[in-house]
Amino acid sequence: MSFNPLEHRGIPLDRQLRNWRELNVDPIDPDHADPYTRCRIITMNGIEVEALMFSHQFARNCADMDVKRQLAEVRYLEQQQQKVVNWLLPGTVSALETTIAYEQVAVDLTAWVARMEPDPYLTQAYQFGVLEDFDHLYRYANLYEMIQHRKAEKIVNGLTEVIPGRPTKYHHRHPADNVRAPYDRTTTAPISKLHALTIMSAEQQTMNFYMNVGPQYMEPIARQLYQEIGLIEEEHVTHYESLVDPGETWWERLVLHEYNECYLYHSFMQTESDRRIKAIWELHLNMELEHLRVACDLLRTHDGREPEEVTGPALPEPVTFEPNKAYLRELLDTQIDLTTLGEGYVRDAHERFERMQEALNGDGPPPSETVIDEHRERFGQDYRLSTEGEHPVEELRAPQPTGTTGGQR
Amino acid sequence: MIETTTETTTGPDVVELLIGQHMRIRDLFARVEESEGARRREAFADLVRMLAVHETAEELVVHPAARAAIEGGDDVVDDRLAEENHAKHLLKRLDDAGPDAPEFPDLLELLRVAVLDHASHEEQHEFRYLRRNLSPDRLAALAGAVRAAEKFAPTHPHPGAESATANLAAGPALAVFDRVKDAVRAAVGDSDR
Repeated sequence: MSFNPLEHRGIPLDRQLRNWRELNVDPIDPDHADPYTRCRIITMNGIEVEALMFSHQFARNCADMDVKRQLAEVRYLEQQQQKVVNWLLPGTVSALETTIAYEQVAVDLTAWVARMEPDPYLTQAYQFGVLEDFDHLYRYANLYEMIQHRKAEKIVNGLTEVIPGRPTKYHHRHPADNVRAPYDRTTTAPISKLHALTIMSAEQQTMNFYMNVGPQYMEPIARQLYQEIGLIEEEHVTHYESLVDPGETWWERLVLHEYNECYLYHSFMQTESDRRIKAIWELHLNMELEHLRVACDLLRTHDGREPEEVTGPALPEPVTFEPNKAYLRELLDTQIDLTTLGEGYVRDAHERFERMQEALNGDGPPPSETVIDEHRERFGQDYRLSTEGEHPVEELRAPQPTGTTGGQR
Repeated sequence: MIETTTETTTGPDVVELLIGQHMRIRDLFARVEESEGARRREAFADLVRMLAVHETAEELVVHPAARAAIEGGDDVVDDRLAEENHAKHLLKRLDDAGPDAPEFPDLLELLRVAVLDHASHEEQHEFRYLRRNLSPDRLAALAGAVRAAEKFAPTHPHPGAESATANLAAGPALAVFDRVKDAVRAAVGDSDR
């Protein structure tokens, strides 16, 4: 029943190169596409970007000319995959609209991973992070209504709620407190490695996106909000990348990257609602199977190990985009006031946290508060899309006439 | 070019207003697509009126400003006018067929794509530079003229304008465009035409 990528042959490398006509894909329709199709596109773009950057770093650390050439060949094909995947996004929508879709990915992908993750320490890391992405979605949705005069529910289409999470101003922690303890590569379940790689890649792409599109806006509040949330994406990438065991060899990491791409393309092929996009996932899966085979050969040659020792015997349950409303509400109810201390989590505003907060927020309100204040000033209330009743956290419940959204401290 | 001087720098500027109209047009297309029968006819009439108001405001207020204020403004505006003409041609075909015709959904889809592409081009190649090159006062003055046109828009009915709006919306779609243009000219004054 379950699919084992190690047992399947893909498309030979010399038949994978695509010409301009084949690269010239039609974008999805911004108003008719399934929001989760757009989420899958954004996810796979993040995965491909990580594959590319990893391969470049590998090449810069590799003295073996044959290996460098092999990496370059596969990397060029992965660049073409990235071009096809990310060019499925339509040019007619604003960067802010795509930003809201990025946050929908962060919410529903991270929530799904948290639900499926077997290791409690790793689960906690995803649960902690998802409440922050959830709040970013709310802040950007308020910005969207302010500068684009449209409601974010048209983008998320009711699949994801847009209500306050852990208030963004509290996400600014001392950088040392963003470093988690890594899993142990010799004992952790293969699924845990794939989860960490997936979420790290998604957050990294979000970080890259915000750092590049933020200055394209003219509205001061938009420029400022992208700066603030862009800095939190730096924290999130630090948080998630530190979960990965740094003792993994370069060959092992290469196999895991390729294996994870197979896992995700296979997952999305199974869950995709759009037939045309599904065919792209299937094609890319068949390309990745060959990239994986090349990586496995390198592992055998240079590490003297079999890939099964790294990947496990078969693919786990397909990664699925689906609503996580009840799960998120439970997390809101129980984990809203967490922060980090060292490698763990606490409820106290400890000294190092307070110092960082004072340094950033002490001289005036952060943009994430200003955006809500300005929205309330202009529209009388903040923007929310609440489909499951009142907010589980009393302090974040009814829009207050003035002031801030989060009084907990 | 039409401008009013009574409006000052408070409230949204002209670019913000026009982007808001683009979003309303986008959502009105969805309403037409989702509805049938009498509701579809009503939604289509709203869409036509919104398009008329929007294109009138752009033609009388925004494009003339862009010609003068943007480097290469004449060419940029000519490209936009060509897109508008293409869209008007599609609208006429759609209007001739009528909301109950079997080919209506396909024609509507063609119009939707043309209008959304056009709106995106305006935002990227015209509005962004208007904001860069015009003073806040000038942007606010242009906004006043767009707001005057907006009194005829379906989702923001202006008190007292309902009957005028109903009359304007009667008849063929392109006639609605002409009547809205005349009404807007009359409402805001036409200083240099």
